[in-house]
Amino acid sequence: MTDERMDPMIDLVRETYHVPGETPQEAMWTAIEAQMSSDVGAGVVGGDVVDLASERRRRNAGRHVFRAADRSMGWAVAAAAVMVLGIGIGRMTAPPGGGVEPEVAVATTFDGMSQGALTLAAQEHFGRTESLLTMVRADGRSGSIDPATAEWATGLLSETRLLLDADRAGDPAVAELLLDLELVLIQIVGVAETGSMDEAQARTELEIALRTLDDGEVLPRIQAALPGLSGA
Amino acid sequence: MSDSTEETVKAINQALLLTELELVERAKAGDQRAFRSLYEMNVDRIYRLTYRMAGEEELAMDFAQEAFVRAWNRLDQFRGDAAFSTWLHSITVSVALNGLRKVDRHRKRERSLEDAAPVAASNPVAEPGVRERIEEAVEGLPEIYRTVFLMHDLEGFSHGEIAEALGVAEGTSKARLSRARSRLRETLGPAMQEYVG
Repeated sequence: MTDERMDPMIDLVRETYHVPGETPQEAMWTAIEAQMSSDVGAGVVGGDVVDLASERRRRNAGRHVFRAADRSMGWAVAAAAVMVLGIGIGRMTAPPGGGVEPEVAVATTFDGMSQGALTLAAQEHFGRTESLLTMVRADGRSGSIDPATAEWATGLLSETRLLLDADRAGDPAVAELLLDLELVLIQIVGVAETGSMDEAQARTELEIALRTLDDGEVLPRIQAALPGLSGA
Repeated sequence: MSDSTEETVKAINQALLLTELELVERAKAGDQRAFRSLYEMNVDRIYRLTYRMAGEEELAMDFAQEAFVRAWNRLDQFRGDAAFSTWLHSITVSVALNGLRKVDRHRKRERSLEDAAPVAASNPVAEPGVRERIEEAVEGLPEIYRTVFLMHDLEGFSHGEIAEALGVAEGTSKARLSRARSRLRETLGPAMQEYVG
């Protein structure tokens, strides 16, 4: 990746841009203490500063459902969820006559789910993302992508995250590929969420997404991973 | 790391966490000395962050102070789901971003007045120096990218910490950092070759 080449530049920025001096600890505390004393009993400060984090957290709550669920339920449940979710997406996107047989996956019990089942889920997932990324790459040449593609990418992003959380003990190479894939999918979804941006900015966002795809060689790695996984 | 070392680290972390929670509980009950301890535990990192964001000592101090005062006034809202420092960083980023927006609006108004008067420019044809180029490039980043870049690459926050502070997913933090770096690479890349080799 190009980040290694960025390091000297980041070092330079770190040493140059808004470099803080020593913390004026006492001076600040004096001011804070004065405010604290005057605010005692006054309750929460009102004011016009919106707590961005809370607002964003509320808006993003839905997106975190799977991750929170995974933490409490464990990797097996997450893997099962990946498969079920994948099946749903597979039903929407798989060409007629092809694709997976969902009932097989659903019949698997959570407790009995093995690394093999997880590998199968990953294999199917990579197959679907390969189709998406190929399409995005082709569409990208025109400078825009179909909004429906972004919706598809959103589903695949959820799947990727579930697999990432579920596959902690699995193959490091697969985990690394999933991480890079997550980044690319976030960027693709981001391109579709650029409604408020002008055309030039949206185009730039798409270019960045495509560059991440190319720099990380995500598509070739997925293609290389598919036969390896199926042979596992 | 061996199992025993890992256990020790866990135990230390647990002890630190309890201490922090105990301090928060005391501060909630109005104990200003407990809050002072929380202040001392966090002030360096908070000030560094506000300075990186503001670039001026006075503003950085204002933002850091405001963050601590808000934290004090909102202590009853801290539920302990995350570390106190995480919660404090979230307040700090919010205070600094909103403060900078106000300052920016004010500066733009001032600049438009200055532009109206014929002032001798220092040296309009001079090639901008490295510092100026870097400043221009970083400040040219969209706010959401710049914040993640400053936190991660300049101040060493992890993506987990940034995600908590900004209320976004870790993946979003990574994506924003990637975009920030890409844009910096585009803007600074050619000009910086001679400095970074």
